Amino acid sequence: MAHFIRSYLGDLKMRGLGRRYRPDAAAVRQSPQERGIFTVQYPEEKLAIPERFRYLPFLLYEPDTGYERCTACGICAKVCPPQCIWIVQAKDENGKALPKASEFYIDMSICMSCGFCAEFCPFDAIKMDHDYELSGYERRESWIYDYPKLLKPTTYYAQIHPLDWAAEEEERRRKEEARAKRAAPAPAAPPSPG
Amino acid sequence: MVVEVKTPQRSEEERIEELVKRSAWVTPWDKLLEWIQSVYNWGRKSSLWPMQFGLACCAMEMIATAASRYDIARFGAEVFRGSPRQADVMIVAGTVTKKMMPPIVRLYHQMAEPKYVISMGACATGGGPFKEGYNVVSGVDEYIPVDVYVPGCPPTPQALLHGLMSLQKKIEGQSLPDLPWYRGGPSPEVPIPVLGPDIFDLRQIKEIKAGVQSARGPQAAEAAGEEKKAERKLVVEIVTPQPTIDLANRLSQVFGEGIATAEKVALLIDGDRLVDVARYLRAEPDLRFDYLHNLTSVDFPEHFEVVYHVSNLDRGGEPVEFKVRVTDKQNPEVPSLVELWPGANFQEREVWDLMGIRFRGHPNLKRILLWEGFHGHPMRKDYKEPYYEEEKKPYDMRWPEGVHVRIEDRVPWKRNVKYPQDFDPQTWRPPEETLPVVEAQELRPGMELQTDQFIVNMGPQHPSTHGVFRMKVTLDGETVVNLEPIMGYLHRNHEKIGERNAWLMNMPYTDRLDYLASMNNNFGYAIAVEKMLGLKVPERAEHIRVIMAELSRIQRHMLGIGFLLNDLGALFTPALYALEERELVLDLFEMVSGARIMCNYFRFGGVAYDMSEEALKFTQQLVYERLPRAVDELDRYLTDNEIMLARTRGVGVLPRQMAIDYSTAGPVLRGSGVRYDVRRGEPYSIYDRFEFDIPIGTQGDVYDRYLVRLQEMRQSLRILNQALQQLPTGEILAKKKLWQVRVPEGEAYGRVENPQGELGFYLVSEGGPNPYRYHVRSPGFVNLTALGEMCQGHKVADVVGILGSIDIVLGEVDR
Repeated sequence: MAHFIRSYLGDLKMRGLGRRYRPDAAAVRQSPQERGIFTVQYPEEKLAIPERFRYLPFLLYEPDTGYERCTACGICAKVCPPQCIWIVQAKDENGKALPKASEFYIDMSICMSCGFCAEFCPFDAIKMDHDYELSGYERRESWIYDYPKLLKPTTYYAQIHPLDWAAEEEERRRKEEARAKRAAPAPAAPPSPG
Repeated sequence: MVVEVKTPQRSEEERIEELVKRSAWVTPWDKLLEWIQSVYNWGRKSSLWPMQFGLACCAMEMIATAASRYDIARFGAEVFRGSPRQADVMIVAGTVTKKMMPPIVRLYHQMAEPKYVISMGACATGGGPFKEGYNVVSGVDEYIPVDVYVPGCPPTPQALLHGLMSLQKKIEGQSLPDLPWYRGGPSPEVPIPVLGPDIFDLRQIKEIKAGVQSARGPQAAEAAGEEKKAERKLVVEIVTPQPTIDLANRLSQVFGEGIATAEKVALLIDGDRLVDVARYLRAEPDLRFDYLHNLTSVDFPEHFEVVYHVSNLDRGGEPVEFKVRVTDKQNPEVPSLVELWPGANFQEREVWDLMGIRFRGHPNLKRILLWEGFHGHPMRKDYKEPYYEEEKKPYDMRWPEGVHVRIEDRVPWKRNVKYPQDFDPQTWRPPEETLPVVEAQELRPGMELQTDQFIVNMGPQHPSTHGVFRMKVTLDGETVVNLEPIMGYLHRNHEKIGERNAWLMNMPYTDRLDYLASMNNNFGYAIAVEKMLGLKVPERAEHIRVIMAELSRIQRHMLGIGFLLNDLGALFTPALYALEERELVLDLFEMVSGARIMCNYFRFGGVAYDMSEEALKFTQQLVYERLPRAVDELDRYLTDNEIMLARTRGVGVLPRQMAIDYSTAGPVLRGSGVRYDVRRGEPYSIYDRFEFDIPIGTQGDVYDRYLVRLQEMRQSLRILNQALQQLPTGEILAKKKLWQVRVPEGEAYGRVENPQGELGFYLVSEGGPNPYRYHVRSPGFVNLTALGEMCQGHKVADVVGILGSIDIVLGEVDR
């Protein structure tokens, strides 16, 4: 009974301050220090998603240059436990393989959201998305994600994974610097991809 | 490449519709109709009643959705109905197996019209990660119509709510005069599929006949096997442990030369003398191997091996492994050891079912995970599934020419089925189950009514079987005379898929064993592989592992208690209390590993990610304040509760000796007064450094099992306190993270104390990137061996409580 009254009082306090559905209020309500547990008023209010959360994979491209990060090395396809990734390597007009993919498919009806592809990708090209509101009325066509559907800008990634993004950028910057130092005697440093 | 966002082109239909709207004259009558329709549809969409029906992991998230945090009641869908006749939404949550498909269609038939189906998660929609398995249906929509698909593995509760909203939107947009149900007339026919040599859909009879006769299909695909590539092998010298050598010498002296030889880490015993040797091992006063841990088999090119792990529970330590070799590959047979270790019963049946090895003298040698009449023994190496692609993963065709091909399209029936050459679906009749028939009697005055025994089927769809589990109960009045567990409704081919996977790939699959305690499963698999790799785990990683495993144990036990009360009739309220606390533990798992229930957090030699300061603080809040309070709360409400005492004391008693004989483990074993816990019996990781007690029961009844669980939570909190205080800084992985691991040739049996008991992984490696044999000793499966015995003489209502006290999870029982 006390719990009942307390929860209503808390609610009134929040409502009085106009804090209902606000993320800061949700953070208080969902913390382990609260008594009991509060209902998340989905869809108006959503549970905060931790950065590491993984749902379905997606691929990255640089929004300003249009450069796709995937080099079609195939590690994600090889490490994928249920083998749901298909990659076609791009070729130039002479049939020589290029370090990029021309087609990329992920069958989301097989994907088990384990996150291995993102974990082992050496180019930070494949990452796990946070978007879970994906239900639909059809699966045969819409659940096979092709390349255009998988590509999302790096800015989106930076937004959902701020810490990882910062760490990866830092790592990249350091590598670039090391490479620039090594290449210093040469007249021009190779242009960095993205 | 830059993706352009195209404005969606309006289709011809939409254009015409708009034209009609603009030019046609809308009468008030039409408007009224529209208004009535919108009100009617609003009523329909806000009063959907889902059926209480869950198959696998996704069902856990469905239950979480119904619990207080997500509260599906806000959508008017709170009334989860146990009976399909009162429900109109079926949420297919989990992997749909072939064995489960006929009951699902039957349930669908029984649901009230107009009915809707939500396919939740990857498995229900398209087979998911288990798609390649021989017992898995690739998509429930091949058999019943589906309205909404929710992607994810598993979808989070919010994703399921989004799916429910999608369904509501669909209902909102429906026009009453056009709906099949309201228009009248029959709904589209959905026949119940039949289980033959494989599942067959009655709508497909013609295609099946044509497909079998033309002999195309998987049989042809099998023939196109490539030559094996020469593989690099990792070989490490294996040292035979001294006790095994001593034991071999001793056995040779007693039974004669050649009966027992030490080979690698095991004792090789002559099959003809197996029973004698086993009896000697069991009875000899200084050996007294009274506990059978694990029984399995391996298919080698020249012979089969049946492998036994035994030990003495009082002494503890590493189990002794002995094996028998069967060279007759056509008709393999070994003597049964059920007489000596009754716990071998189900495990021997499993070997017969999956490997096709007969056990001479077994009391009831029937298939256990598949159904009678299934064609083939799938764990044999020459067995190929209908969706067979290649011997080992990774598949070559995924890269660099990996144009997406639906694997269904390579099978003539477009489904995950295969039939023997001579199969004719029209003349085929299923093997009949013999059911006793009660003859009518004439009653005369003065004569007592003769009661006959009758059989009641509980499950596979039953609100209190903890999943898709079935019990065939023979009753005399209301008293249980006999109870036969029937399982396999969630048999999703874990082991077969595991043998094709690379070593690391199995890690996320182990999450899906006991899907309520994925951290503990990860732990077991990591321990087993690290044993073979000889890896030393860094200190910080060890501590994080223990923290995660113990938190997982607490939430698992809490849920176990909550659902036990559910089974005793306290519908959902205690379970809600448990689910509340569980949500917070899951929040932590999500923060640390990235997923709520499918953590996939352990790696060989450590853990995947480090624990952040934030996560550590969260853990401390949980361990120091929140969880102890919650455990005390449960204790206060339940332990002295009169109804609880009346329903659980003296019910389902399992005497101490019987608990050992039946190879039970975990709280079931300890509830019967055996002080055995793998964390103490054969300490793994850093458990030998912590102070904790092993709580035991005295009577061995349901109440004792409850008490043991309650006390274990307190002990886990004790361990957590110590681990959190000692948590050092440093590395979290022994070596660089590798996506491909090679494991040296050999074998290992790694085991951990999972919340249900001893979870063991028996692995055989050939030195390559894939395991040769991957067997899971599942505590839930073995614990069920004792269920029949425990239920005898009790009432039907108690059966549910006894099953609740074993607390099975079908993902692990059926694998």
